[in-house]
Amino acid sequence: MKVRFCVARGLLLAVLALLALPMNSAAVELRVQSDTLLRVFERDTTSGTDNLVTPGYEYLQVDMGSLSEAGLSFHAYGWGRYDFADNDFYQDADAGELLYGYLEYKRENANLNIRLGRQYIFEGVANESVDGLRLSSDLSENISASIYAGQPVGLDSTSGRSGDSIYGGRVALHKMSLGEVGLSYKNIQNDSDTAEEMAGVDIALYLPKGINFFGNSSYNLDSNGFAEHSYEFSIPYENFRFRPFFQMFNYADYFATGANSVNPFRVLATGDEEISIYGIDLSWLKSEAWTFVGKFKYYDYDQADGNQYYGLAATWHPGEATDLGGEVGYLNGDLSKNTYLLTRLFATVDQLGDKLWLDFLTGDIVYASYDQDIYGEDYSLFVSLGTGKTFLDGRLRVKLSGDYSQDPYFDDDLRGLLSLTYNYDHGL
Amino acid sequence: MKKIFSPLAVLIICLAVLAACSTMNNSFQLPNNHPSPDDLGEQPKVCTNCHDARGDIPFERFVHGPTWGENHRQAAYQGERVCALCHQTSFCNDCHATRVELKPSLRHQTDNVRRMPHRGDYLSRHRIDGRVDPTSCFRCHGNPKAAATCVTCHG
Repeated sequence: MKVRFCVARGLLLAVLALLALPMNSAAVELRVQSDTLLRVFERDTTSGTDNLVTPGYEYLQVDMGSLSEAGLSFHAYGWGRYDFADNDFYQDADAGELLYGYLEYKRENANLNIRLGRQYIFEGVANESVDGLRLSSDLSENISASIYAGQPVGLDSTSGRSGDSIYGGRVALHKMSLGEVGLSYKNIQNDSDTAEEMAGVDIALYLPKGINFFGNSSYNLDSNGFAEHSYEFSIPYENFRFRPFFQMFNYADYFATGANSVNPFRVLATGDEEISIYGIDLSWLKSEAWTFVGKFKYYDYDQADGNQYYGLAATWHPGEATDLGGEVGYLNGDLSKNTYLLTRLFATVDQLGDKLWLDFLTGDIVYASYDQDIYGEDYSLFVSLGTGKTFLDGRLRVKLSGDYSQDPYFDDDLRGLLSLTYNYDHGL
Repeated sequence: MKKIFSPLAVLIICLAVLAACSTMNNSFQLPNNHPSPDDLGEQPKVCTNCHDARGDIPFERFVHGPTWGENHRQAAYQGERVCALCHQTSFCNDCHATRVELKPSLRHQTDNVRRMPHRGDYLSRHRIDGRVDPTSCFRCHGNPKAAATCVTCHG
């Protein structure tokens, strides 16, 4: 209780400190983006078969304050859904989530950045949504640091938020044109039990001849073992780029995230399995228009037999208005049930305004063939068609798409989606 | 109390040190935003067409090649503020968020060029991909709220 009081008092002080920060004379701007989606499809529910389901979604983003220059600003983004048919497809007809909502202060020197409120943190071992405070800054020309503390949003569905906390940070040493080394730490408590305690190191080295080396390792301090090693090279040669990579995950340390462990991962953490993934990506930018990609992955396990993945992709982009592409992937599993062939073709033709009333057309076909039947079917076919048009000098974009799927779960599934995106951008 | 007080004390000290140090250095300062396509007169596509590959910021690392969608994790974890020049967090939240009901390829059905994950009938394919490499699922579905989509079948 005292700890919660301390945190609450700390956050209150932080709010007051944030409000007291020097404001510059930058104009206050307001940007709003609204995405309204209406979906239509049929499902069997507890109240009947082939029931029409018509969920409407609203994704709303608001950015306000000093957006073009350093200073104080506010950012919020979230979504809500209501099922107009309300025929028991969803547990509740309405649902929603505030994905972020924070005050931010940026200062013009030292890259100082302070955020207070709900925010997503990507850095080092952190990939978390947090209700709290984050501060980052350069400490010198070659050293930067960040720290954060608050409550983890991902755990609020497990016995409420009492006893939940998260804190951590990252220190990085970077030398222009040589590379960067970062050390990071994260501690998450769920209902006063340790949910996760991880430490990590991340590295980037910029080597001669344009060769780069990137990677990270994370150590689970709760289970005392390395959870992950991921390392890769990026090697350019004329119009080619090679990316050999290696990854290793120890299931007991990677999935054993203490009190926040969830199925289906909880059961994996109880085994002794370890996966090592060796592979290479090859990109060939043949010309401005043509790009080719090759991919190979070998999955090696401590206990199970290995699997291999082979992939090829090509895209054609002759100008701003057209994109055509295709890809083939083959997963050669150790068992028949782990083997499939995946093919995809897609096309987008944009800037049609001079020829048609519509602005763009899109099409997509995805076909998967399974070595072993899934619910008596050995393939999936997915076809999608879309179109759209902009109005109000580009501020309003209307898109309509439909897709059809024939697969192990659905004999014939037809779905529709209407999407309206509205942008408002104004100085106050 | 002692166990939790210590991290709080460390946090407060770190905050104070960070705030103090940030007033004293004059390291390379990133702008708030990248100029918009309207300002530039064209849609920027390749960072190194205008920026040094290895200057104050190693922009070659952020060039969105054809496999960028699958391989941007390392760059994002180390260079989030470079990403933020062009992308707001809402862009990342299409895939990375605590609770996303619509998979990204469905929400952006017509943006097929972006090669977003789980396109098509992923309900069937996830049975295989999940067996072959469950770590790839865990990054986005690893906490109780994000796993809500898994719980319906996996308990």
